[in-house]
Amino acid sequence: MTFRLTCPVCGARDVYEFRYGGPERGMRPAQEDLSPEEHFRWTQFRTTRPAPQEEWWYHAAGCGVWFSTWRNPATNREEGPAT
Amino acid sequence: MRRLAPSPTTRVEVDRPVPFRWVGRSIEGCQGDTVASALWNAGVRTFGRSFEYHRPRGLFDLEGEGASQLVAIDGLPNQSAGTTALRAGMSVSAQNVSGDPRSDLYGVLDRFDRWMPAGFYYRRFHRPYRAWPFFQNRMRALAGLGVLDTSSPHDDARRSELYLNADVAVVGGGVSGMAAALAAARPGVRVCLFERRPWLGGHMDWRVRETRGERLYERAHGLAEEVAAHPHIRALTAAPVTGIWGENLVTGFQNGSDADGFDERHWECRARAVIVATGTIERPLVFNHNDRPGVMVSDTAWRLARSYAVRPGMRAVFSVGDDLALEAAVDLASLGIDVAAVADARADGADPELVAALERAGIEFLPGYAASAALGKHAVAGVTIATLDGSDERRFACDLLVANAGRQPDIGALSSAGARFRHSPHTHTFEIESLPADVFAAGRVTGLVDAEAIETSGRRAGLEAFVHLAGGLGAAFPSTDEPSVYAELTKIRAYSSELPGPPAGCGILHGPNLGSGRKAFLDFDEDGTWKNAVQCAEQGFDVPELAKRFGNFGLGPGQYRVPGQNVAMAMAQITGTAIEEIRCTTVRPPLIAPKLATVAGPNHDSYKRTPLHDDQASRGGVFRRAGAWQRARYFSDDHTCRAEIRNVRENVGLLDSSPLGKFRIYGPDAIHALQRVYISDMTKMKPGRCKYSAMCNDTGNIIDDGVVVPMGRDDYYFTTSSNRAASTVEWFRYHTRYDGWNYNLVNLTDTLASINLAGPRARDVLRKVTDADLSNQAFPYIGYREIAVGDGIAARCMRLGFVGELSYELHVGASHAPHVWDLLWSAGEEFGIQPFGLEAQNALRAEKGHVIIGAESEQRVTLLDIGMGWLWSREDTASKKVGAPALRACQDQPNRMKLVGFRVDEGGGSPQDGAIVVDGDDILGFVCTTRYSEALGWQFGMALVKERAIGDGDVAGLEIYENLGGRPRRTRATIVPPHFYDPDGTRLRS
Repeated sequence: MTFRLTCPVCGARDVYEFRYGGPERGMRPAQEDLSPEEHFRWTQFRTTRPAPQEEWWYHAAGCGVWFSTWRNPATNREEGPAT
Repeated sequence: MRRLAPSPTTRVEVDRPVPFRWVGRSIEGCQGDTVASALWNAGVRTFGRSFEYHRPRGLFDLEGEGASQLVAIDGLPNQSAGTTALRAGMSVSAQNVSGDPRSDLYGVLDRFDRWMPAGFYYRRFHRPYRAWPFFQNRMRALAGLGVLDTSSPHDDARRSELYLNADVAVVGGGVSGMAAALAAARPGVRVCLFERRPWLGGHMDWRVRETRGERLYERAHGLAEEVAAHPHIRALTAAPVTGIWGENLVTGFQNGSDADGFDERHWECRARAVIVATGTIERPLVFNHNDRPGVMVSDTAWRLARSYAVRPGMRAVFSVGDDLALEAAVDLASLGIDVAAVADARADGADPELVAALERAGIEFLPGYAASAALGKHAVAGVTIATLDGSDERRFACDLLVANAGRQPDIGALSSAGARFRHSPHTHTFEIESLPADVFAAGRVTGLVDAEAIETSGRRAGLEAFVHLAGGLGAAFPSTDEPSVYAELTKIRAYSSELPGPPAGCGILHGPNLGSGRKAFLDFDEDGTWKNAVQCAEQGFDVPELAKRFGNFGLGPGQYRVPGQNVAMAMAQITGTAIEEIRCTTVRPPLIAPKLATVAGPNHDSYKRTPLHDDQASRGGVFRRAGAWQRARYFSDDHTCRAEIRNVRENVGLLDSSPLGKFRIYGPDAIHALQRVYISDMTKMKPGRCKYSAMCNDTGNIIDDGVVVPMGRDDYYFTTSSNRAASTVEWFRYHTRYDGWNYNLVNLTDTLASINLAGPRARDVLRKVTDADLSNQAFPYIGYREIAVGDGIAARCMRLGFVGELSYELHVGASHAPHVWDLLWSAGEEFGIQPFGLEAQNALRAEKGHVIIGAESEQRVTLLDIGMGWLWSREDTASKKVGAPALRACQDQPNRMKLVGFRVDEGGGSPQDGAIVVDGDDILGFVCTTRYSEALGWQFGMALVKERAIGDGDVAGLEIYENLGGRPRRTRATIVPPHFYDPDGTRLRS
């Protein structure tokens, strides 16, 4: 598996330079009255479908920015949401 | 044997002999030879024995495709004779033989094929089941290829790696590949071209046929010069491609010569577009004894003569199915090789020009005939040739049988790039059905045969690739160039349609009078015969993907490249299925097998050294790898470090703690970021004081600890453990990525060195090198001061006590560190200063009951479990602290793992770190760290154990179990509070 990603700072780079941060799952939930179930759903559950999804990536071997991008795990290409 | 007279296509220097050894005999090749050409010239016909039946095998192809030509070279097994350059002094030996390859003791196995049907090892020898290991070992001894010589554990080849970026990558350096590269390369476009042979030219490199007033090899050589001179093309030769991966990552390896500075290198090329021009491979003809040494495909015989000036045989017979092979027959005859007859499996369709040339050369031409059997015991001595219906069979004496059933496109590279194929009833090959948008094909891989059509297809592919990129890049390419490119492309598209397309191909698979086919091989690597294919179908394994696994077709070193299409055709014919309905099985990378060592690359360990590395080395430091660093672990041969420990407890010691993570965070929202990742209330920091805290992850595990110091308004300095230094920035930014907070984080880990001065005389030493007030009132425990050391070196000084003694941690600029070290050393001499290493530090801090993240914690335990819940700011939900919800959820869970201290009972031994804690057969936990303490006079330790092991009573015992080389050892210990040494902390605060 190999593909490229576009870092918003550095441009298109090899995927080896990045670390995956999981699909977008919304902001860290408020902790007031947060049930353990809700917390673990937010921290542990990941959904990956073979369709474009928004994901987080860290440019570890580059500028060190966290960014979100749309990518299709079925083709490994950056691809916007289906409209 | 005497070489043929050199011709302009010759690639060897016949007057420069290269001596080498073959199974112990001294023989000679010449400069430029491959191992195979040299062996063949020396009269060697049997290169080794086959995988299962131990049949003699020789040179079948020169491309390094199959197992037949694998030899052992200088003790390294499975080297490709066809592609390995000959070097003086090489020692080459045959594989899978017992004794001499010509008279292999196990050759008798060839007669037992009746008892070895397809898949026999899956079904026989399994009853009684106890017998299987015996038979398995016997079979493993008999079957197989090379044997690894474990007495020479590694070769000393020079290895290297190369990472390229290209706009266009061209796979294949034949005429179409070169034309494509030249057409695509222009200012602003970088082209990389990869050719598996040591020179460019492809199959036209050795063809002397004249087309349009120029001999083909002249055309090939001319293009090769253009490519070599082109400023925008980088051509790698002797560089086979192993695969094309996602987004056009082309990978391969390259064999180097003495001049290259490497013997083998792995390379990867990230390209924006790829042009594949891999040409064809010959499809083997299936007939009885088609594996006899002396049977070879036409390119092999032709290249032996034309490239290596080696006489492929004295008397040749051809049984082929394509025009190129007819051209080879004509050309070999012109070089003085006696060609007795040429059978062409095609009844008609042969190039009339070549048929006339055969006639002129006095060679008998037999259209509609094919070989039915090779004769001869150890090597070819003759052949029977028959009409396809088998009615007219004729016999010829020969020592060279050139055989193929036509040609198939070499689709491996295209297949790995994502192309799809379908069977064509016209060419009788699997031809390209569709290509990914940024992959282009050119030359013979598209079925073309005509020389002009081949070159034109290359030029066209180059222009198509350029236009594809220009479309994507827009203004990035010189706009002045573009209109002319479009015009050129339109012209060349029109011209292509006038040139001859793919001609009709040869559709036969096997020769006439095949019989049961028990000695007619579909797959040479694993001895897969026609009969085996029939057996597969009979037992229901009747599609290529199933037959492949059950009958082992194409599972050998050649993978599926050579037998692939034949197996598909065989299954179609045997089952009576239309070939169009058969799916070709996948060709899997690596298309050509590189050595694993080449993929692994050179062994370069990269680590960091602290600024004090040399100072410690000169004091006898013994260094070990610790994370990214080389750190001094001991300062003597005594690995219990008694003297180092005693000196810190009684006098004063110096520790290089430079790998400690050191960071500055500043900005209006810096405090919010700290509040998010640290588990304590970070708003309660005081100037001049270190705030100790810890970080947790989302499941409440403690992942880091350190101190934070306020430096000014919205400006903080903090430390992390050495192992977390590299991921701290990532961690902060990840957990604040939604908040849009305004803060900056600077990693100062390598900028600042850290020296830990520890021991009861630490103050006395430091006082001698600074004017700062170090009194206990002015600079108390947990204090932070910025002091000047020596003649004004700025040092950030923290009064901490990790090792349990009065100590000062000095953070100074990395370049000042050796000087400060020297100052402290001189100042400390009168107080008995000595360096101490990581092991002493480990024992000292454990005596004090201080934890190390990762030693006294692991993935199952939380901050609370290791007794550090006091750090947690429980009421704070507004900061959304990382880990706080998990801590809340598990704080009342029963029977979690807890950290406890223990004292080994009187008369107990010294268990090792990691020993398990048991209750009968139950495992309750494990020992984290345990040492004998001179200061305490007993063996102490910390362990993570299930809460129930601790019990309710006043005194609870632990049973530690170890298995020392088969001898169990049980040690009894008593649980005690984990503050073993100086529990009140008076020494820290003194």
